[in-house]
Formats: sequence, structure tokens, C-alpha cells
Amino acid sequence: MTPPRPPLHGRKLGDRRVVVNRPHSAFFRYAGPGVMVAKAAASAPTTALGRRLARVRAFVFGKPLSSAQEIDERLTKKLALPIFSSDAISSSAYATDEILRVLVLAGLAWMTWSIWVAAAIALMLTVVSVSYRQVCRGYPSGGGAYVVARENLGPNFGLIAAAALMVDYVMTVAVSSASALANLATAFSAIAPYKVELGALVIIAVTAANLRGVRESGNIFAIPTYLFVGMALLAIGVGIMNTITGAAHHLSPPPFAEQAGTQVFTVLLLLKAFAGGSVALTGVEAIANGVPAFKPPEAKNAANTLIIMALLLGVIFIGLTFVGLQYGVQATTAQGPTVLGQVGNAVFGNGFLFLMLQISAAAILFLACNTSFNAFPRLAAILAQDECMPRQFAFRGDRLAFSWGIVVLAAVAIVMLYAFDASVDALIPLYSVGVFICFTLSQAGMVIHWRKERSSGWAWRSIVNGFGAVLTGVVFVVVAYEKFFTGAWMVLIFIPALIAMMMFIRHQYAASARSLEMKPGAAVPQPHRHNRVVIPISGVNRAVVQALNVARSITTDIRAVYVSADPSRSDAVREMWAQTVPDVPLVLVESPYRALIAPVVAYLDVLDRSWPDEQEAPITFVLIPEYVARSWWERMLYNQAAKQLRAALLGRAHTVVINVPYRRDEARAAAAAAAEQPHPAGTLVAADDDLPR
Amino acid sequence: MPEANPPIFRRAVIALNGGPVDDTIVRLAIEMARPPHAELVAVHVVELDWTQPLDADVAERSEEAQRVLDMAEGVAEQLHARLESVLVQARDVGAAIVDEAEAREADLLILGLPYKTRFGGDFAVGRAVTYALKNAPCAVWVVREPMAKESK
Repeated sequence: MTPPRPPLHGRKLGDRRVVVNRPHSAFFRYAGPGVMVAKAAASAPTTALGRRLARVRAFVFGKPLSSAQEIDERLTKKLALPIFSSDAISSSAYATDEILRVLVLAGLAWMTWSIWVAAAIALMLTVVSVSYRQVCRGYPSGGGAYVVARENLGPNFGLIAAAALMVDYVMTVAVSSASALANLATAFSAIAPYKVELGALVIIAVTAANLRGVRESGNIFAIPTYLFVGMALLAIGVGIMNTITGAAHHLSPPPFAEQAGTQVFTVLLLLKAFAGGSVALTGVEAIANGVPAFKPPEAKNAANTLIIMALLLGVIFIGLTFVGLQYGVQATTAQGPTVLGQVGNAVFGNGFLFLMLQISAAAILFLACNTSFNAFPRLAAILAQDECMPRQFAFRGDRLAFSWGIVVLAAVAIVMLYAFDASVDALIPLYSVGVFICFTLSQAGMVIHWRKERSSGWAWRSIVNGFGAVLTGVVFVVVAYEKFFTGAWMVLIFIPALIAMMMFIRHQYAASARSLEMKPGAAVPQPHRHNRVVIPISGVNRAVVQALNVARSITTDIRAVYVSADPSRSDAVREMWAQTVPDVPLVLVESPYRALIAPVVAYLDVLDRSWPDEQEAPITFVLIPEYVARSWWERMLYNQAAKQLRAALLGRAHTVVINVPYRRDEARAAAAAAAEQPHPAGTLVAADDDLPR
Repeated sequence: MPEANPPIFRRAVIALNGGPVDDTIVRLAIEMARPPHAELVAVHVVELDWTQPLDADVAERSEEAQRVLDMAEGVAEQLHARLESVLVQARDVGAAIVDEAEAREADLLILGLPYKTRFGGDFAVGRAVTYALKNAPCAVWVVREPMAKESK
């Protein structure tokens, strides 16, 4: 109890009251019988350095948020749309180019087929979006394709979907930052030699923004996404109006087309165009992964946002393809003007609106990576909850973001940038392969889901998802075939490697859970094993006496071990020990090779071997006296041998290692108390050379 | 006074008794304290009989007593408001509340009143509220718990 405060007198004679201290209230709050909730102060650093670091962290990432504030961090549809859709919507900026680049191989006349290919992709987008809308409602805890495949096709198919998605998210970050840098490099050639470093800086900046929390990153990144959507819709609207009024004129062909008409138009070529344009679908699944990030009702808001995203993506993609066709826009090489650029130029001219369209397109291409920064950590968290990833991935950081997932994604993407020298051409073949695996698995999983559930309309839903599964499966095969030799083979190695890693982690967690498992309802009997204590000492001092006192509270079977590299000192220690602690045996170990740690470990081995085989092995408590230094530089002077000993005994069978700290303040208080009284013979006086080594 | 104008106060003492009205009066006080930026002090009094000394180690160790004030702090934290909490031991709850309000120069005292009937008959206001209404030098608000349906 804290000392009582003096009674306070009231307005009437005899009215007295005492204000009672509330020592816990600075750090904890009672939330129910026997339940305390830690306040922010309980988590605050206690050292000066720690406080300074916390201030820096709060400045960079924002003040820590409590778990109760998670609901405030949830996203409205307006904010969720740019966060989860920047990847999908940005792909409309280049998907038409991918179609035209294939069709042009058959000749300029076949370019008109682009609208039909775009329409087929839009149909696939509709099927995939409808399917993921159902996933949002059916699996509101998030996880998207992973959870659908896990629940309906089995855990290993879930891992395939998860691995494919994770690889694609990493590639999205690497490709979008590389392409943003490549765009900038065409305008500012001076930065070309530093593309990798700048790309890494870009990723670090997005990482920092995401570590500030999902809502704050949404606020930062929303404007460019909406700007692009607005400008693209305006360009399409003006283009259609010009077409209706007859003001749309064919552009002069760009200087590209040395490859035009070099191949015969075949179904395979059409499939290639279809597969190329299917990059428009990348990122569609992100919302289904992040349903819990939405404000309640989560599933409904996520499903509606998904439909808005699909509509915007479909309208912009089809619209650009249509308007491009009316203006006779043609495919160019990767370095030439894009379809979006050509349409913008044709519709707006070279003025301000064209500039805005180009700037917003560059910005959204760069921000496409932000979708991955939201989807990847959530997927990793769900995998961690399923014990397929290290548990740290499921922990939320100071700002309620899944910090581990964010940082690991950034680190791997930076490694990819370095490995491929931030070359878009080298990275692109690895991109958008995995996403079609996950589309296929999710659609196939939904077919089984409907068949199991047999709710109203299950038959047509199954047919839609089955059709989608076949369609996306075909696209996966075509994409993998087309890109295999240019780099997709690496993805087809990464994915199995990732699956193997997750299976290994799952196996490890399962094994440890089995070994830690308790039988439900089983009463734990009193321990009956013999306890003994071994105290390695470096001399006779107060820290050792403190450890001895702790040892006496554990058992009476206590022995001290003094390893001496200097025989001349051994006698003095033995003599002092005999005077001070005559009831505790001291084992002196001479160490002519001057080793300090190994002889202690060897002594413990000898103790174990000398224990009778027919008896259960005793528990050996190794009590290590430790002098607590007050500052970092002092820490270097003491306890180095104690640290080595602790490391040497880590994981040793039937052994418990306990540090017994002794603080300088205690030493001073004891010394002051001792100074006031006469010293009897054999009184301990702490000397620096006796302090724990 | 027009009804739209909230009453102005500088410092309010909220007397908590661990009952169901506590949450309501804390929320009410916080909302009313916002416009004038008034200070709020939550007080919970643990009544000791004459068998124990006044400074007996009772309230400090009582999880229940601490929880009453912690609940108020939790509500304040949730509503992003500041609230000081004071735990008091006294012989008489009403006198201690009024004395604490006076000592802190509060210009408003808010009390919650559970709806209780004496022996199933008349509604009983209780000693503490009666004392506060008679003796508090400042304004006193009493917020009564709604009647249970069977009491109507």
C-alpha cells in the first residue's frame, strides 16, 4: 500500500475524507473483474534514448494507434477505391497497347479486331468481378482466392493461389516503380544511370506512407487515382462526341511499323492478343483480399467498391480502345507513344488537358504499387494466422498496419529492382502470370462452393464461375507459354519454392504445437523432480550473495563453481567463501587453458552423468549473478562472461538459466549501511575486480 | 434561457456510484463540457463504517472501486476528452461528494440516481443525493435511471 494521505476536513464538523492513491491508473485500466487494459504509458519507452527514438518514429510514421481505433482506420468506399483499385485501373492505361502490338503483326487491317478482343476481355472482367463480388460476400474475413481455394479445393491449392498472388504483388511493385522511373527518364535523361537507386527510394517512400496506416496512405494516394479516372473519362467522352459529330480524323501512322503484316492472322494470334490485353485484369482480386479494411458493413461495401472498380476499368479500357480505333491509333514499340497518349493528343491537342492526362497516367502507373502494399500484407497476415507464414506477419504495428508484410514486400521488390537493373523490359515477362493462376483457382473453388451450398441460383452461378475458370485457365496457359522463355520460367520456379516454404513453416508450427499440446481437462500434478542449483561465481561479492539468497528460496541442494585461471587467487576465494557461506559447498575448477565457460558446461555434464540412471533427471537451475550497469558504456565492462555462459547453456536439457541482477544503487545502499556499523570479520565488501565478469 | 444554449460551467464533479447510470452521466458531462472547455473530475466514494479507521487500506486494494473510475476514464479516452479521477474513502458518501466539489471549486455537481423503490413501494432518492441537493453550494444535476418495465 502507498502511504495514506492525511484526512481532509469537510464543511461540517466530523466530515472527513481520505483521497486514496491509484498507483495503477497511470499505466492500466480495469476493464472487468481480473482484466486490466494497458494504457499507452505502459508501452512507452523508459530510457532517454528510447523516448527520443519514439519521438522520431512518431514524427515519421505518426503516433501509435490503439487497437480500439482500428474501426476509425477502416476505409470508406471513396477512400478504398483508389487504394485497392490503382493497380487494376492503371492497367487500362496500357492494356490496349498490348492488344494492338499483337494484332499489328497480322497487318493494319486486323487492328479493327482490337475492339472485339477488348470486348472479350471485358466479358472476362465481368465474370471475374461477379465472382470476386461473391467472394467478398461469402468470405468477409478477406483472403480472396487463397481462402476460396483453401476452403473448397483444399489447403494446398490455397497455398498455390497465395504463392501466385504474392509473387504477382512483388512484381507489381517492381514493375510499377521501374516503369515510373523509365517514364521520368525519358523526360529527364540525367536520372537514367540512377534508376535502380531512385526506384528503391520510390519504394521506400511508398513503404513509409503505408507504415503510417492504411487511411493515411489512402489520403495521400487518392487524388492521383481520381485525377486519372476523371481525365481518362473526359478523353473518352470528348472522343465519342467527336466521332458522333464526325470531327474525329485518322491520325498519321507513327514510325513503328516495320513488323506490321509479318505474320498470318490465326486463332493463336488472336489468343495472344487476348492474353496480352488480359493484363487489364491484374489487381481485380485486391479488394477481395482486403474486405476487413472496409467500414461496416464490410462485405457489402467491398462488393460495391469492386463493382465500381470493374465498371471504371471496363469503361476506360473499352472506351480507349474504341476511341483509339476511331482515330486510327496504332501500336508502337514500348518506347513510342502509348495508345492513351495518342488518344489524348488527338482529342485534347497538345494543351493543358493533354499534359494533365499524361501526368495523371504516370502518377497512377507509379501508384499501382500501392495496391500491392495493401493487399500483400493482408494476405500474408491471413497466411500467418493459418501458420503458413511466420507469426510476425499477423502482428499490427504502431499504426495498425501489417508492418512486417509491408517491409518484406518493399525489401523483396527492391531486390528484384537490383537484380533486373530496374529494366521494365526484363521485369514485364514475370508480371501478370501468377494472377491468372489465382483467378482460375478462385473460380474453380467458387464452382465447388455453389455446388456444396446449393443456395438459390447455384446452378447459373456455377456455370458462370466454371466458364470463368476455363477462360482464365486458358489465359494462364497462353500467358505462361508466351512469356516462358523471356522470364516467366522464373515465376514458375518462385511459386513452387514459395509453396514449399509455406508448407515447411506449416509443418514446423504443427510439430511445435503437437509437442506443446496439453490434454484438455488433464490436471497437472505437483512437480516431483529433484531441484539443484549451480552458481558460477567470479569471486565473493554482494551479487553472488544475492544469487545465493535466490538459490536458497529454490532448494537446499546448492553449490557454487569458481573457475580459476589464476591458482594464486583460488585460495583467497576459497578462504573467503568458507568464512562467508560455510553451508554452501564451493567447487574450485582450475583452468590451466584459461577457458572460463567450457569448464562450467563440462562440470554440469559431469553432474548429469553422476546422477543415478534409475532416477528421473533433476532440474538444474544455473543462477548467474549479474551486475546491472547503468549506462551503455558500462555494460561493455561487465557480464561478458555471463552472456557467453547464457548462450552456451541455451536449450540445454533439464536446465533452467536464471539471471540474478544486482544494481549499483543496492550496492551503494548496502555499503552505506555497512559503513555505519563496525565490520565483523569476513564482511563482504564489493570490489570492482570481484564484480561479475 | 433559450433551450438551445447549453449551460455554462467551468469545472464539474461527476459522482460515480458504480451503477448503470455512471456511463450515461460521464458521456453527458463530456458532451456538455466540450463547448466551454470545462474541466471534469470523476469522484467515487468508498464508504467506511466506524469499525475501520478512515485511512484503512480498503479502496486502494479494491478492484471494484478502481474499476468504477477506470470505466469513466475509458469513456473519456474513447470520446477524446480529459477527465481527472479521484477515489475517496469517507464515512458518508453525500458529505464526501459535496466536500470534494467544494474543495475543487466546482460549479456543477452531477449525480446518477438508480431507480429504486423502498420495500417495493415508494421511489427512494437515497441519502447521498438528498444530502447533495440540500448542501452543495454549486448547481446539482441528478440523472435518474429509467424505470424498469415492470416498475411502470
